[in-house]
Amino acid sequence: MRGLGADMDEFLIRATVGAGLLGAAAGPLGCFVLWRRMAYLGESIAHMGLLGAAIGLLMGISPLVGVSVLAVTAALVMARAGDDLIPAGTFVGIVGHVGLALGFVLLASMETVRTDLLGYLFGDVLALSNSDILEIGAAALALLAGCALFWRSWLMAAVNGDIARAEGRASRIADIAFLVLVAMLVAFGLRVVGALLIVALLIIPPAAARPFAKTPEAMAILAAVIGALAAPLGLAAAWWKDIPAGPAIVLAASAMFAASTLVARVRR
Amino acid sequence: MLCYNNPMLITATDLNLRAGGAAILSHVDFSIAAGEIVTLIGPNGSGKTSLLKALLGLVPAKGAVVRKPGLRIGYVPQNFARDRSLPITVGRFLRLFATDEAAQAALARVGIPALHDRQLSALSGGELARVLFARAIAGRPELLVLDEPLAGVDVAGEAALYRLIAELRDEIGCGVLLVSHDLHVVMAQADRVVCLNGHVCCEGKAEQVLQDPAFEQLFGARAAGELALYAHRHDHTHPHPSTGSG
Repeated sequence: MRGLGADMDEFLIRATVGAGLLGAAAGPLGCFVLWRRMAYLGESIAHMGLLGAAIGLLMGISPLVGVSVLAVTAALVMARAGDDLIPAGTFVGIVGHVGLALGFVLLASMETVRTDLLGYLFGDVLALSNSDILEIGAAALALLAGCALFWRSWLMAAVNGDIARAEGRASRIADIAFLVLVAMLVAFGLRVVGALLIVALLIIPPAAARPFAKTPEAMAILAAVIGALAAPLGLAAAWWKDIPAGPAIVLAASAMFAASTLVARVRR
Repeated sequence: MLCYNNPMLITATDLNLRAGGAAILSHVDFSIAAGEIVTLIGPNGSGKTSLLKALLGLVPAKGAVVRKPGLRIGYVPQNFARDRSLPITVGRFLRLFATDEAAQAALARVGIPALHDRQLSALSGGELARVLFARAIAGRPELLVLDEPLAGVDVAGEAALYRLIAELRDEIGCGVLLVSHDLHVVMAQADRVVCLNGHVCCEGKAEQVLQDPAFEQLFGARAAGELALYAHRHDHTHPHPSTGSG
């Protein structure tokens, strides 16, 4: 990656801005994924997103549209999952892996796009264009606004869903909005860190923030900062050591989690 | 307190609930009026918690449940799983559901103002039970629904909190629906006792229920006798139980 010429600075800056915005938006949303133990759901939505990208390519429409439609649909279907015999988590896992397998099959059947496969699995953050950045920026703003809007409802549900529902304080709209926003993050995150790693941006920054937060709000803000910081740190490492950018961003977030855990242990 | 002229808070008709092929609730009719303290008793697996959840809309039971429109409920669930990954203080937890002023007042009322700044996940079982009770009363509910609310609270604290329930009923006129295993307390406090075993076995004032053959069958003659004695004695030491004196 070194020595690519004058363009290098620009695409590195675009990558940093895009991944940073996405990481900042993922932090607060990820706190709820952590609190409500929904990492599994996020992963399955991401796997369905891969299928969505494949369908989008097959139909000749924007992969982003395919990802968004399928991820949102999958999220809403999986929210109603589960019955007496099969736990909801297992059902969600089955749906996600069907999406992943079907996505592979479809992508493999398309000779011309087969080379993109790695890009959808691990992201292609260095290929972001200016309009991509604008899209990601708008999405990040929408995600953060959604978090602020539904904060109280989501927090009540995270603390104890039964109390909120029994007392008539639960909002069906807030529940659906949460799933739609996770699906939206997945759709935009597919370009940046890929279907296999997007959930890392949802769960690692909140986990790193946890030891230093005494309120839910502090944890969300700290998670946003850590998520945003992972982008420049990871991309610097990618540029310096010539490693893939998406995985480097995830590793940078993981390094911050390790440091945070270590500091918390020592202080205790 | 006789409450049959008070407005009904929740009325349920012909509730049926099945789970895993077994009948949990069969043809249960139930209602509770404002200002009334009703306790649900019954052996393990008799459907007490299921009936509460059906009334609250937490399990999909067949049958009709009618709530007074806009009914304000304060619910203390039997189980409250705390997640250490969610940092939240007791005060912030209460403020999710009530104003700061009401939250402070409720904590003081339950005798735990000092817990305001503690992390929810750091509380002992008894402290948590008190916090959950404070949260439920902070919103000035019209109906308090308490499912084994005082698990882990010490004996002295428990008696004080049950007195507080009666005080609150007199003060804000709320209905109280209570599930408790402590039959002594139940008998001393309730306006009406509903004895459940998948269906309503018997119901009425505590003394009536104690003499009911169905109650004796469910809990054994010895328990019935002991509790009858207790209720009788209690009547004499507390001619006006709702004043909470003595």
